[in-house]
Amino acid sequence: MAHAIWSGAINFGLVTIPVKLFTAVRTSDLRFNFLHKKDNGRIFNERHCTVCDEKVEYADLVRGYEYEKGQYVTLSDADFKSVLPEATQSVEIVEFVALDQINPMYFDTPYYLEPEKKGRHAYALLRESLREANKVGIAKVVIRSREHLAALKPNGEALVLELMHFADELVAQSDFDFPELKEKVAPAELKVAKMLIDTMSSDTFEPEKFTDEYREAVMAMIEARVAGEEVSAPETKKPAATNVVNLMDVLQRSLEQSKRGGAPARGKALASIKEPAAKKSASAAKPKRKKSAA
Amino acid sequence: MTASVKTALTVGGRALQVTNLDKVLWPRDGYTKGDLIAYYRAVAKWILPHVQGRPLTLERYPNGIDEDGWWEKHIPRGLPEWVPTVKTAASTRHEQIEFMICNDEATLAYVANLAAVVLHVWYSREPTLDVPDFILIDLDPGEGCTLATLARVALAARDELATVGVTPLVKTTGGSGLHVVVPLEPRYDWEQAKGFAELIARRINTVAAEFTTLDRTIARRPKGTVYLDYVQVGKGKTYVAPFSVRPRDGAPVSMPIPWSEVEAMRRKRAKGTAAEMTRWNIANVPKLLAKEGDRWSKAWQPHRLEPVIAAARSLWS
Repeated sequence: MAHAIWSGAINFGLVTIPVKLFTAVRTSDLRFNFLHKKDNGRIFNERHCTVCDEKVEYADLVRGYEYEKGQYVTLSDADFKSVLPEATQSVEIVEFVALDQINPMYFDTPYYLEPEKKGRHAYALLRESLREANKVGIAKVVIRSREHLAALKPNGEALVLELMHFADELVAQSDFDFPELKEKVAPAELKVAKMLIDTMSSDTFEPEKFTDEYREAVMAMIEARVAGEEVSAPETKKPAATNVVNLMDVLQRSLEQSKRGGAPARGKALASIKEPAAKKSASAAKPKRKKSAA
Repeated sequence: MTASVKTALTVGGRALQVTNLDKVLWPRDGYTKGDLIAYYRAVAKWILPHVQGRPLTLERYPNGIDEDGWWEKHIPRGLPEWVPTVKTAASTRHEQIEFMICNDEATLAYVANLAAVVLHVWYSREPTLDVPDFILIDLDPGEGCTLATLARVALAARDELATVGVTPLVKTTGGSGLHVVVPLEPRYDWEQAKGFAELIARRINTVAAEFTTLDRTIARRPKGTVYLDYVQVGKGKTYVAPFSVRPRDGAPVSMPIPWSEVEAMRRKRAKGTAAEMTRWNIANVPKLLAKEGDRWSKAWQPHRLEPVIAAARSLWS
């Protein structure tokens, strides 16, 4: 059972229908983990601070907006929440329009709205009225701290919330060089072109006919390897001793290599750290600032 | 709008301006910036051998430990011309930074005046910044880890190292953990030093498996265990200098301690570790040092890795 993105409500006028929001698109199953070439060890990403040179946990992060080079304004989760208090977890319908009024380019990602028990009847009612009126609801909704324009559409048994792009997000056609609408096309040419389209037409659209061939090829390769080759299991925690042996081998080899040649720069043999007696600190008594590259 | 209260100071023949000596940096203990400066001057002769020649990073709290502090690698503005510096980069990926180097008491007073509570230094020193002269394992107690468990792990480290001919040193971090340090002969590179540190950490994890973890993700570490951190060793990496103060209540100090103290911790019943570590602090450390000196200075024995690895291969496989 999928996990809801949020629990909230569809709102318009005096109507409130409690619903849960779910993604309607699940991207392909092929997921890989990054492994270390030499030992198939899992890799984990760390967040590393460039100032204090330390690993940082998620809880210690904040979003910063760079308003000028190197200058930031920081915003916390509470800040984001405070800007849109009403609009969180609710689908606010602002108007209803006929579907064919909307340029399909505006549509982006679909989400399912599933009613809570209390809202089932109102949900079904809204769905059927939209279907009969042949209209969709235009709404504002906030998902994961971003506000979206969306259309509420009946689709089979569901009310689908399809996120839309804002007008200023769509690139205008005038930015490109398309042939003009009044460009001359001879009727004979048009006839031939339409015949070609007819021969390739089908009455129904069956999306199942189309598959992701690349993904299938990769899966086939994986299955062949599982069957034919030994599956290389990454080292689990138990053989800690083996890791130690590997480490010692690596170290030993490295030390032998250094001995043979290419020894690292020898440090001045450190005098064992003595308690300085009455004399002042043992540093070179150069008064001028000493700049040396290292 | 208060004007900064300036006082002139002469330290080791250098003239310094120190300011706002009465500014309280530890609100619940009342320690001031003046106390911090006095502390670092009082322990100068013991802290200097550990920081001389090493690129220095300051951890500063000019508005006290309850306010945000920051780490400062690059030399501060207005650095006196008599403080030596070195320009270097942690690696080819990193940018060059000009670090200051603290070689005398006057510099200690200068940085303490900047409210540098903690002094962090490199694992190597000038002029051979590419040669580490010690490695360190950070014993970091996790949630629910008792003092006795922390001590137990440190003692396991000492005992395992003893089997391969290594005598490690130990200090409190001043926070909640311990640092186990092995001085090295200055003839190895960073990879060898890091490999050695990892080897030790993995060995401790093997012999003290139920009390330790190597998991870098905090959420996955078992409760009540000590996290063995061996990755703090590297070019450009730093550690808290011995005798450095920490920005915590009680103004605890990162204190080199004898192994007998660790054995005593093993017998104590404290649920957590931090309270015990405040036993060494800004108020009593100068007197302790005056009486007993720096035990690390007498015990700093640089080790050769070759015989240690040879012994480890026969005993630790």
